Amino acid sequence: MREAVFLLLVLVVPLPLGAADVAAEAARVLARHCVACHGAATQLSGLDLRTREAMQKGGARGPALAPGQPEASRVYRLAAALDQPAMPPGGKISAEDLAALHAWITAGAPPLPQPPGADHDSLRRKLEERPITEEERSYWAFQPPKRPRAPDVPAEFAGWAENPVDAFLLAKMLPHGLRPSPPAGRRLLIRRLYLDLLGLPPAPEDVEAFVADPAPDAWPKLVEQVLASPHYGERWGRHWLDLVRYSDSGGFEYDRDRPHAWRYRDYVVRAFNQDKPYPQFIREQIAGDEFAPDSPEALIATSFLRFGPDHNMKNEQTRMDELDDIVSTTTLAFLGMTVGCARCHNHKFDPIPQKDYYRMVAVFFSTVPADRPLAAPDVIARHQARNQEIDGLQKPLKAERDALEKPYREQLLAAKRARLAPHIQEALRTPPERRTEGQKLSALQVERTLRVKEEELVRAMAPADLARRKDIELALQMLDARRPEPLPTAMAVGEQGREAKPSYFLYRGRPGNKGSRMSPGVLSVAARVEPAFAEPPPDARSSWRRRAFADWVASPENPLTARVMVNRIWQHHFGAGIVRTPNNFGQNGARPSHPELLDWLATEFVRQGGSVKAMHRLLLNSQAYRMASDDTEANRRIDPENRWWWRMPRVRLEAEVVRDAMLAVAGTLDRSLGGPGVFPYIDPALWQSSSGRTWPGRPLSDPAAHRRSLYIFHKRTIPYPMLEVFDKPDAAGSCPERNRSTAPTQALVLMNSEAVRRQAAFFAQRLQQERPGDPAAQVERGFALALARPPSPPERSLAESFLRSSPYGLVDFCQALFNTNEFAYAP
Amino acid sequence: MRPEAAGSHFPKRVWSRRELWLRAGSGVGYLALASMLQRDALRAAPLGSPLASKAPHLPPRAKAVISIFCYGGVSHVDTFDPKPELARRQGEALTGKGEVIVAQGNPGALMASPWTFRKHGECGMEISELFPHVARHADKLALIRSMYAISNDHAPALFQMNTGFVLPGHPSMGSWITYGLGSENENLPAFVVFADWRGGPIGGAPNWGNGFMPAAYQGTLFRSEGDPIVDLRPGREVTPERQRRWLDLLARLNQEHLARNPEDADLASRIASYELAYRMQSSAPEAVDLAGEPAPVRAAYGLDQARTAYFGRQCLIARRLVERGVRFVQIYSGGGNFGESWDAHFELKENHELHAGETDQPIAALLEDLQQRGLLDSTLVIWHGEFGRLPISQQMDGRDHNPFGFSLWLAGGGVKGGVVVGGTDEFGYRAAEERTSVNDLHATILALLGLDHEKLTFFHNGRHMRLTDVSGKVVRKILA
Repeated sequence: MREAVFLLLVLVVPLPLGAADVAAEAARVLARHCVACHGAATQLSGLDLRTREAMQKGGARGPALAPGQPEASRVYRLAAALDQPAMPPGGKISAEDLAALHAWITAGAPPLPQPPGADHDSLRRKLEERPITEEERSYWAFQPPKRPRAPDVPAEFAGWAENPVDAFLLAKMLPHGLRPSPPAGRRLLIRRLYLDLLGLPPAPEDVEAFVADPAPDAWPKLVEQVLASPHYGERWGRHWLDLVRYSDSGGFEYDRDRPHAWRYRDYVVRAFNQDKPYPQFIREQIAGDEFAPDSPEALIATSFLRFGPDHNMKNEQTRMDELDDIVSTTTLAFLGMTVGCARCHNHKFDPIPQKDYYRMVAVFFSTVPADRPLAAPDVIARHQARNQEIDGLQKPLKAERDALEKPYREQLLAAKRARLAPHIQEALRTPPERRTEGQKLSALQVERTLRVKEEELVRAMAPADLARRKDIELALQMLDARRPEPLPTAMAVGEQGREAKPSYFLYRGRPGNKGSRMSPGVLSVAARVEPAFAEPPPDARSSWRRRAFADWVASPENPLTARVMVNRIWQHHFGAGIVRTPNNFGQNGARPSHPELLDWLATEFVRQGGSVKAMHRLLLNSQAYRMASDDTEANRRIDPENRWWWRMPRVRLEAEVVRDAMLAVAGTLDRSLGGPGVFPYIDPALWQSSSGRTWPGRPLSDPAAHRRSLYIFHKRTIPYPMLEVFDKPDAAGSCPERNRSTAPTQALVLMNSEAVRRQAAFFAQRLQQERPGDPAAQVERGFALALARPPSPPERSLAESFLRSSPYGLVDFCQALFNTNEFAYAP
Repeated sequence: MRPEAAGSHFPKRVWSRRELWLRAGSGVGYLALASMLQRDALRAAPLGSPLASKAPHLPPRAKAVISIFCYGGVSHVDTFDPKPELARRQGEALTGKGEVIVAQGNPGALMASPWTFRKHGECGMEISELFPHVARHADKLALIRSMYAISNDHAPALFQMNTGFVLPGHPSMGSWITYGLGSENENLPAFVVFADWRGGPIGGAPNWGNGFMPAAYQGTLFRSEGDPIVDLRPGREVTPERQRRWLDLLARLNQEHLARNPEDADLASRIASYELAYRMQSSAPEAVDLAGEPAPVRAAYGLDQARTAYFGRQCLIARRLVERGVRFVQIYSGGGNFGESWDAHFELKENHELHAGETDQPIAALLEDLQQRGLLDSTLVIWHGEFGRLPISQQMDGRDHNPFGFSLWLAGGGVKGGVVVGGTDEFGYRAAEERTSVNDLHATILALLGLDHEKLTFFHNGRHMRLTDVSGKVVRKILA
C-alpha cells in the first residue's frame, strides 16, 4: 500500500520539489495553455491568470483560485474538465501539466515567476499571427487561372470542336464511356432558352417562327434576340439578389420597411440588361460613393452594403454583427470564400487568418448608412424649406395643445403617485440627499417613467378642452398633408471623413476583448502582393479603404473573382456549378469537376472585359446547351447524377418562374419594369401581429397581383407564401443556390389557392376567346401556350374527352396544365 | 445541388432511384393512378420524400414534441423560481451581482413577487399560485431554474430559443427534428405552429422557418378555426368530384411525361406530393375537428370558458395531432407587444394573471390527457419563454427582460419528473448553479428524441451546421 502511494506520487508529481520549483512548473503550464487569453494581451471573461492575486480576484464567473484546494479552484476544475466549459478550448491539457497545476495549488499556490514569452507583445503575436505557407498558397483556387488549350475532339464529334466549352466537356465524357445526348428539338430549345434567360415561357408565335426559321444561324439569332429583352435583367438580376440577401425590410422585432431598397433591385436589373462590365459592377457596389460620388447609379449600388438584418438594439456587439454581415456577404458573393468563419478564430479549414477577417472589418468599419436624396441641390433646398415652413406653422399649435393638456396631466400624475407601492412612495417622501441607493432608483424611475396614457387624458379632459384639442390635432394633420412628397432617395452609405475610425482585432470575436489596432487588408492567401491602401486625396469624403478593396476584388489578377462569377453563370445555365458549392471554393467546398474548363472560362471572362452577356453567348451557343435532357440508358448507368453533363439537367423552376409563367400563359402578366415593391394579397392569418408588422395586401383583382414576382415586396418576417413554399430564400444571408424541394404544401397552393385558380380562369377565358367553341383547338392552344408544343395523341384524346365531359372542363384543364411536372421543370 | 448532410446520417439520397421507382410503381404508378385518389389513406410517406420516416441515431425516448412558447418572457421569479430575498429586500438596489443590465432603461429597486409560492407534489417543487393547475403535475415536471440566453431583445432571443442562433437564417428546432426523423404521418404537416389569438410573435415566420434547409421542413401555421391550413381546400364551387377529375387528368398527363424519364426520383416524388396533398385535404380538417371529443374532455381543457377556450382548443388539437403522428407542435401564448404577450414591462400583476389564466388549465389538461392515453411517455412537452424577467422593477410595477437567468420545464417523453436542475442567485438575476444554455436545452431535447446533436448536421455555406452550433451538453439529470 505504501509503495503504491509512493509510486503514484512519483509518477504524478516528481518529488522532491521545493515551492519555487512547483511555482515554476505551474507558471510554465499557465504560459503554455492559459495566459494567451488570460494574460497581458487580453483577459477573456475578465480573468487574468498571471498571478496568484489576480486568480483569487477572479473574473466574470467568480474567483479562480482557492490556495490549498485544487478541487475548489475554478482554474483547476475547468482545466481538468470537472466543470464546463473545459479549458483550454479545443485542446486537452496533458496529465503531467494538470498534475503540476494541482501540485501548485495544493502547495498553497506560492508566488509565480514570470515565464519567458509571457510578455504583452509575444502573447499578442501568438494570438494574432497565423502565417500562410507556400503549400496553402498552392491550393488550386488561389493560383491565378491559366488559359489551357482546348482539347482535341475526335472526328466523330466534329460539331463539338468549334466551341471550346464543348471540347472541354467532351474530353471528360469520353473517357468515362459517356456520349453526349442528341440535340433537343426546337420547341423544347426555345422554351429552355426563354425560361433560362427571361424566366418566362415563349409565346406560341415565337415558337413557330423559330421552328420555321430555315437560316443556318437561327439559334444564334434567337439567342441575341432574347438576350436583348429587358426581361433578361429581371431574371438574371434575381440570381444576384439572392447572393446579396436583398430585402425590402430590416427583419428582427420591428422589421421596418426600407422604402428605397427597390432602387437597388432596379439598378441590378439595369446592370444586367446593359451588360455592365463585371469589374465596374463590383466597384459600384462596394465603393460606388468613393469612385463616383456624384453618380446616382453608383450611390444606389452601395445599398449592397446595407441589406443585412437590422438589429432593434444598437450596441458594440450588434455593430460587429452588422460588419460581420458585410464582410461575410462581400467575400461569399465576390470571392466564394467563407471568411465569416474567421470571426472568432482562424478559419478551421482554409488558410484564412482571423487577422484577415479583422483587416477586412477595418475596410468597412467607418462605413455608415447614409440615405442620399437623388436630386439637384436647389430641389433639395426647396424641399427642406417647405418642410421647415410647415414645422413653423405647426409649432404654435403644438404649444397650445401642450398647454391645454398640462393641468390634466399634472392632476393625473399626482393621483398615480398616490397609488404607487408603499416602498416607492416612501422613497419619494425621503429627501433626495437621504435616499438609499434603492430609493434613488425608485425615485428616478417614477420621475422618468410615470406616464399618463392617452385614454386617461381623454377621459379626464373637460368637453370644451377636448374639442379644442381635436381641432388642433386635425389642423396638424392637415398641415402634414401639405408636406412635399419625399425626394427620391438612394439607400447609400458614407463615412464621416477621410480619417478611418480605429478598429481592432477581437479575441474570440468579442468586442470587450480588443487586440491590436488593425490596418485594412485583403484575403492574404489570395494576394501575392498586398494591395496598397493609399491615403485618400485631401478633398475625399471618406477613407477610400473600400475603394482600394474593391480594386483588389475587381482586379484581373485576383485568382478567385472571375472563377467564382463564371461558375455562377454556368450554374444557372447548366443546373449546377462546375464547382458545386458556388459560395465556397475552399477546402470544405467541392473541387471543380472540370478545372480546365473553369479556368478557360475565367480567363475568357477577363479577356471579354467582364461581359456577362459574352459568357451567355459562349455557353448558349455550345452544343452542350442544346442537348436533350432525357435520360439515355447507357449513360445513366454510368453517371446517374449527370455529373459530366452528358445531358441537360431537368430541374424544378424557381418560385418566381412558376408564378410568372402562370401569369404569362393566362395572358394577365403585367410586363412593366421596375418601381416600388407591390403587395399582393396574403391571408391575414399568416401574418397578423400587432408588433407593427403589416402587409398592406391588395385584393386579388388589383393589377398589382399581376406584376412579376421580382417586384413583390420582400418582407423578412412576412414571406409571400407561394414563393416561400417553393424555396425562395429568406434573405438572412447570401444564398448561392436555391433548394429545390418538393412538398405537399406546394401542391396545395397550386391546387387550391384563389390566386392560382383565378389565373386558371383567365387562361380558360383566353382559350375561349382565341379558339371559341372548338375544344380540339383549345387543347392545341393550351398546350402551345403552357408547354410550347402540341399535345401528343394520347394527351389530345385525354384532354378533349375531359373538356367534353364537364361544364367546367376548360378551367380545370388549364389548372391541370399549371400543375404538370412539365410546366414546373426546366426542359 | 441541394446541400448534403454530413456523415452517414442523412445522405442526399437515402433511397436508390431503382427503389424509388419501384415504390412509385406501386404507389403512383400508371396502373394505380386511376384509383390513386380514392384509396384509403396511407400514413407513411413515400420513399424519397424529404419527410420519409427516418431512424434516429439512438433508441428514442420521445417521438413527438409540444412546445408551449410563452412569448414575451415569463417572469421566473413570479412563477417557478421563488426568491424570498426579494420580499425581504424590496426597495433596495440590486448589488453584488455585476452590472445590472436592462433592456429599456431606468432600472428600479428590487421588487417582491405579488404571488406566493407553495410546495407541490411528492417532490415538493415550489410553484407560485399563478399556476395552480400545472402545479398538480409537479411530480411530472423537470424544472430547469438555471437557464441563460444571449440576448435581452425579443427577436434575437426568440430566434435563439427556436433556432439556436440570435441571428435569423437558421432552421428552427421543429425543422431540425423533422429533418432528422421525418414524419410519421405525411397526410399532415410534420411541424405545426399555432399563433396566439392576438397575432404572431415578434420575428414572424423565421421563428418556424426552415432557414437554409429545403422548404419541406418549415413549420405550417395552423388556424384554430375553419380550415386549419391556408389553401387547404379549393373554393366552394369546386366539389370533391370535380377536383378529383382534374387531378386525375393531371396524374395522367404527368405519367406521360414521367414515362420519358422513369428513373427521375424528383419527378416521381412531385407526383406523390399531389397524392399527399389530396389526402391532407381531408386529414387536416379531421385532425382539428373537436366534435367527437367528449364533453368532459372539452371541459377539462377549458373550452367552455371564454378565458381558456382559445388556448385550450389549441392544446386539445395538439394532442390530436401528436396522436396522429405529427412530430413537432408549437403553441404560442401571447402575440404582439407588451400587455398582449408576457412582456410585462408594466402592470406585471395584471399581465401575468391574464396570460397564466388563459393557459394554466389547458396545459394541465394536456398533461393529464396525454398521460391517460398513454402518450405522455412518447411526447415531450416543453414550457418556456425566450427569457425571464428581472428581479427589479420597471415603470414601478413591471419587470424588464432578463436573459441571464430564467426557468423552464419539460415533461413526458423520457423526462424524469419532480426534478429541479440548478438555480439562480438569491435574487433570481443570474443563473448560478448548473448553468444551462439554450444549446444544452436543444441538445437535451434532441437526445430525448434519439438524436445526437453533434451528428445531426446540414452542410451550408462551407460548414456542417448544427442546431447547437459548436456547443451543447445534454442535461443528464432530467433523463428518466
